[in-house]
Formats: sequence, structure tokens, C-alpha cells
Amino acid sequence: MFKRLDASSTSVRHVQIWLDGEPHSVPDTLTVAAAVLQLRGWQGYRRHVDGSPRAPLCMMGACQECLITIDGRANRQGCLEPVVEGMRIERQGGGSHEA
Amino acid sequence: MKPDALAAEIVIIGAGPAGMAAAVRLASAGRRPVVFDMNATPGGQIYRQLSAPQVSDTVMGKDYMRGRELIEAFTHADIDYRPGSRVWWADNNTSGTTLGVLEKGQTQHWQARQLILAGGAMERGWPFRGWQLPGVMNAGAAQILLKQGALIPSSPPVLAGSGPLLYLLAWQYLRAGTPPSLILDVAPAKRYGEVIRQSRRAWFGRSYLLKGARMIAALRRAGVPIHQGITALEAYGDEAVESIRYHHRGQWKTHSTELLLTHFGVTPEPQLARSLGLEHVWHASQQSFVPQRDDSLAAGTNVWIAGDGGGIGGAINAEREGQLAALAVLGKIGEVDPAWQQEMPALLKARRRDLEARSLLESLFRLPEDWLDGQPEDTLVCRCESVSRGELDLAIAQGGAGPNQLKAFTRCGMGPCQGRQCGESVTRLLAQRLDWTPEAVGYYHIRPPVHSITLGELATKE
Repeated sequence: MFKRLDASSTSVRHVQIWLDGEPHSVPDTLTVAAAVLQLRGWQGYRRHVDGSPRAPLCMMGACQECLITIDGRANRQGCLEPVVEGMRIERQGGGSHEA
Repeated sequence: MKPDALAAEIVIIGAGPAGMAAAVRLASAGRRPVVFDMNATPGGQIYRQLSAPQVSDTVMGKDYMRGRELIEAFTHADIDYRPGSRVWWADNNTSGTTLGVLEKGQTQHWQARQLILAGGAMERGWPFRGWQLPGVMNAGAAQILLKQGALIPSSPPVLAGSGPLLYLLAWQYLRAGTPPSLILDVAPAKRYGEVIRQSRRAWFGRSYLLKGARMIAALRRAGVPIHQGITALEAYGDEAVESIRYHHRGQWKTHSTELLLTHFGVTPEPQLARSLGLEHVWHASQQSFVPQRDDSLAAGTNVWIAGDGGGIGGAINAEREGQLAALAVLGKIGEVDPAWQQEMPALLKARRRDLEARSLLESLFRLPEDWLDGQPEDTLVCRCESVSRGELDLAIAQGGAGPNQLKAFTRCGMGPCQGRQCGESVTRLLAQRLDWTPEAVGYYHIRPPVHSITLGELATKE
């Protein structure tokens, strides 16, 4: 898991998102992938087309390991999408990476 | 040119140090460049989130905070900045470059008379057994989490690989109060001594050496074990990493951890330059392909490449190259100011010195070219299509003599990352097996779209 550094004094705005149906309040500077890593960690992030478990590797738009369903659209790059108020995020437990 | 294309005199792709510096420079000359960038805020990876920092500079260090001035200048200049946009297609012709851009879920076509590519670098894909497991992440990715949301691991991670970022992140975690449990460095200890003896380069690169030495000393003082010269690394676990195994001083050792952060250097993000068909050469010292550029940073007709996307030089050099590219573009469009022409030689000289200092880091953190040879057969090379080193070797034995043939035989490089993670590994493996140079082996043909785009997005046009 990742946690927010206690010493970070910066005041930051929060937004409410839904992750796998549950509401959470997260800083609005986060991308979807970062929010999921904070809330749930890397385990259970995604299941690959070959059945293996996968999770974000690069966080900069290159590796495509962070694919996730955002507002009903599958296979979005979670590391490139900032969280926004009311966003619905679902982790992809199975399926293929074909859009 | 597409009939409905939006026209731009100058387009810059990327808002890291190179792109920002180029844009600021052009704006100060009265031009208004269009800047496309994938992220929500300017800064690239190095200065990510610096417009509203989440972590204090006592944790991040001076090099991060240094970018503040440039971000300030970029934010206040008259620039057509388009955050959250992705250039997924580029086609070069005599009148400029046509671009397919995805912005807010819509596709736009742009016609750019002059194009500056400032797409930066990415962390090198470097296969080892288990690197596809959740809980194995790039060190750069973990640093992005730190910058983006002050996120640190909730239990001490292992940091492994090679390169300055490894020690920088370890030091930042130490300052944040969660030092790593172990640092595994691929560079052997004796190499530090060898490199320091190269006096000319050591002198130019003294600030790098000093910074590194200070960070390593601080980590050692804090009791973080640092093992230099590891020769193998493996990650184990079912649903996520549970333990790692590494080879050090002739022995295998195991270590329990739930997070392994690796770094094996950075390489230019290749897709746009490749899809434009620009010439690439193998940079032996950087151990990577780089696009071919002349002294003005031109890489093609009306195309310039500035910053790490043209070869790794670091943030300060990227900023300088952004200025150089801007001056070159201004010269091209007939805007010549004698004052700028006087600046050019000084910029070029500083660049030469910087790159020379940089070569010190390249020798210090040089990776073993035959690493993949030593990996177990079932090590995945292509993560997207789950193609192992053994499958690639079989395809080579069956006559696969180039990256594109191996792609056709095994689907290696055909997945959604489009070979970004496996491309140079495949080139390396072929070079070893066929006893060819990496240049003779070549690289995948890269075709658009260079970013994933859905049919829906393609059909929705502004």
C-alpha cells in the first residue's frame, strides 16, 4: 500500500470518487491509478488477458499496466486520468485488453 | 493536409523542461506556440506537480524545486497550452507535420509548420523473473506517486537496479521517514573508483558525484544496507510480490518484501520519432537508440527534438536544448535577432560540457548488455503478450532474424504498450544471438496510433 506522508502540510482539495461501488474522498492531484494504489494497493488491481495479476508499472503512460474501467469505459490508462468529483472507477478483474 | 485541420505555426509536444523552455523562448519572441502535453499540469516527470507541490523541499531536494522558475515563466507566458492532450498520430510532409490529437475525448487534426518534439524519456524496460508481478514497480513510478500526492510506501520497500534515481528516491524516502529495507545496485563497487580516476570527466561531473556520494553516505549512516554489484534479481509471489532473490558475491540471497522498486536507467520515449520515420542510431554509451539530430537539434524537415527524447541529458540540459530548438525554429522562420545568435555558441558549449559530465554517469551505471542471456527461459520479455525469453529464442532458432519477424512469429511487441517495454530488449537479444550490432538489428516498425485510442474517440471530431 501507499499512504499519504503525514508531514505533508500542503492543504489540498479532495474529491469524492467511487471505487468498486464504494465512496472515497481523495486529493484532487491524484490520477486514478494513484488513487487506487492509495486506497487498495497493488494487489487485485487488474487481471491480465493471460489470467495473471498485474498492477501499474510506470505511472507515466508508457506501460499500459494500469488499465482500468472509468465511468463505464474499460481499459482507460489510469495513470493519465486525473480523479474528478463523482468519478466511478472499477478494477478489471478479468477480460481482455481489447478496447 | 486534412481540409478541416487546425493550423499552427509552431507546435511543441511535451511540457517538461525542454518543451516549457522552448515555449517560453518562442513566446518572448512574440510567437504563440501550441503545446500539447499528456499530463494535467506542466513540468513533465521531473517537475511533476511542482505548480502545486505536495511535499516539502526538505524531502524532495533542491533539484526538484529548481524547476519552479521555469514553470512560473511558462504559466505566465502567452502560450496555447493544452494539458491532458495526446498526440497519437504524426505524419511529416513538405509543408510541415500533420498531427492527430486527442483532447477531452475528441480527435482534432492539426497542421504544424514547425514541430518541436519534447516528449522526454521513459524508464527502461529491463526483464527479470517476476517483474510482471504486482508489487514490482519502477522507481520513477514511485517517485511520481510521491510528487503527485505525497504518497510513500506503507512498509519499507527494496530498491534495486542502477542509476542516480535509485539513490535519489532512497534518500527522499529516508527524509520522509520510511527508508528502504535494502538497496541492490547492479553497478559493482569497484566501478566507482574506476570512474573517479577519469579525471577530466570526473571534474566536469563532480556535482553529480558529490550529490551521489552525499546521498549514499546519508543512507549508510541511517543503517540502510547497500549491496553493490548484484548480478541477478528475481521476484516471487502468487497474487503479488512476497519475496525477492538476488545474486551477490557468488551467493543467492532471499529477502521478504511486498514492494520492489526497480530502476534500470531511462531511454528516449521513442514512439512519435519512430512513427515519423526519423533516423535513429545506437548510442553505445547510453545503451539505447536515439534519434539522429544535427547541431541545431533538427531531426527532419521542420522537426526538432529537444530534451531527453533526443538522448538522455537530464533536466538542465533539456531546458537548454529547448532554448536551442526555439532559436533554431526562429532562425528557420526568418526571425533573426543578433542577440540570440550570440547566445547560441554559449548554449552549445554548455551543452557539450553537460553531456560530457553525463557520460560519467553512463559509465558508472552501465548495465550488462548480456543481462537477458542470464535470465531464466520463462522470464517475460513482452509483458503485454506474455512472451518469454525462451519463446523468443525458439523463434530466433527457427529463423526469426529481426524485431518485426519476431513480432510476427510470437506477437512480442504487439500489445497495447506497442513495444515500449520490450523493444530494446528484443534488439539486444537479437544482437547477441546473431552477433550483429544493435543498429544492424534495428527496431520495430512503429505505426500510429502511438497512444491507445478507441473507435468512439476517433469518430468524435471537434
